[in-house]
Amino acid sequence: MLVILGQCPYNVIEKEKRVIMDKKKQDTNLEEIYAKYGPVIRFRVRKSLGASNPDWEDIVNEIITNVIEKIKKKEFRGESSIGTFIYTITSRRIVDYIRQKSKILKHAPEPIPYPDPHEHVENKERAELIADAIKKLKPKYRDVLYLYYYKGLSREEVAEKLSITPHRVSERVNYSQKLLKKLVKR
Amino acid sequence: MTEMGTKMCKWKHLIDDYLFDRLDDEKKKKFEEHYFNCSYCFEKMVERDELISTIKLKGEMIFQDEYVVDKEKGTTWFEKIISFFTPKQWALVSVYAALLLIVICVFIPYFKSAPPQFFISEDKVRGESITLISPVIDIKTVPTKFEWKDSGEDVEYKICIYDNGNKLWATTTKDNFIDLPEEVRKRMTSGEKYSWEVKAYSPEGTLIAISSKVQFKIAKGE
Repeated sequence: MLVILGQCPYNVIEKEKRVIMDKKKQDTNLEEIYAKYGPVIRFRVRKSLGASNPDWEDIVNEIITNVIEKIKKKEFRGESSIGTFIYTITSRRIVDYIRQKSKILKHAPEPIPYPDPHEHVENKERAELIADAIKKLKPKYRDVLYLYYYKGLSREEVAEKLSITPHRVSERVNYSQKLLKKLVKR
Repeated sequence: MTEMGTKMCKWKHLIDDYLFDRLDDEKKKKFEEHYFNCSYCFEKMVERDELISTIKLKGEMIFQDEYVVDKEKGTTWFEKIISFFTPKQWALVSVYAALLLIVICVFIPYFKSAPPQFFISEDKVRGESITLISPVIDIKTVPTKFEWKDSGEDVEYKICIYDNGNKLWATTTKDNFIDLPEEVRKRMTSGEKYSWEVKAYSPEGTLIAISSKVQFKIAKGE
């Protein structure tokens, strides 16, 4: 009876439907993962290799492909969070790349100066907007941004220079960021 | 580890140090793993990265002209005070100050004023005083009436007249004047200087006000 039922065309269709549904579900999950972790991977790789490195985008694509394959092959068993799983794959690939380059160049690549000037070309208009917004800030906020980010002083040094506490420096930086976000959105 | 989407995150303070490569290897790895799991920190880091990149790229243009923090730009006391709090904090401070003011205004009437203090002998002590009306300057004839300003109801006044510092006559009254008896008037002679003072006492006998000692001279000729 079971054998007959098993061969029933209705059951075969149901089984196929389920396979298609599972595949769709997996694809949706993969799309979500790509949408969520794509920018994080891009940020991490670009920060480590520098936007001026011609290989960074290829490395990002490789990592994303690798992540998708591993998930499809069920190599992600949920022992850690999906974030940690992707972080591990990303970090390994970056280390591999640096080792590879070191062998070729016989020395490790120069540390990437932060921020990488090549990054800005992509978003010139937005940079203009932010720059204009910074100009509109009150002097006390611009002072902090100038000393902390432009001059690269430590929080304590900025605090000493402006006769305020280091905590107040952080507060002003965070508040400036909030104001800028509002100004740029307008 | 903080969950994704959490509003505030204890790792947030590491963002700047991470972006400027100021973290040691171990902390750096931990933070990297963290932002793979925390969308809040990642979002904040991208925003901060964008801000820093813009400042580094366009800083010269942004901070030109008026920007003289390096040259020890002096901030005024007013600016220092204003910048002590953020606008939000100032708003809170104002609310607290207003509440404190209301509380003070409500409770002040419940506090009784301190008992008055006076000039006792030569010691200068602050307190309520009685204003003497007459006689206060040189007069032509021996006065018949001594008058002073009223210090309130139910007050008993003690008036003393002095002749060269020696008590000539003293009496008490509930009015703000006395008619000088004939016998005392006879003891006062023209051409002499006299002084007088008034003290006010509450019904319980407490000294509540005092006048200054005023001198007057009876002109010669009578």
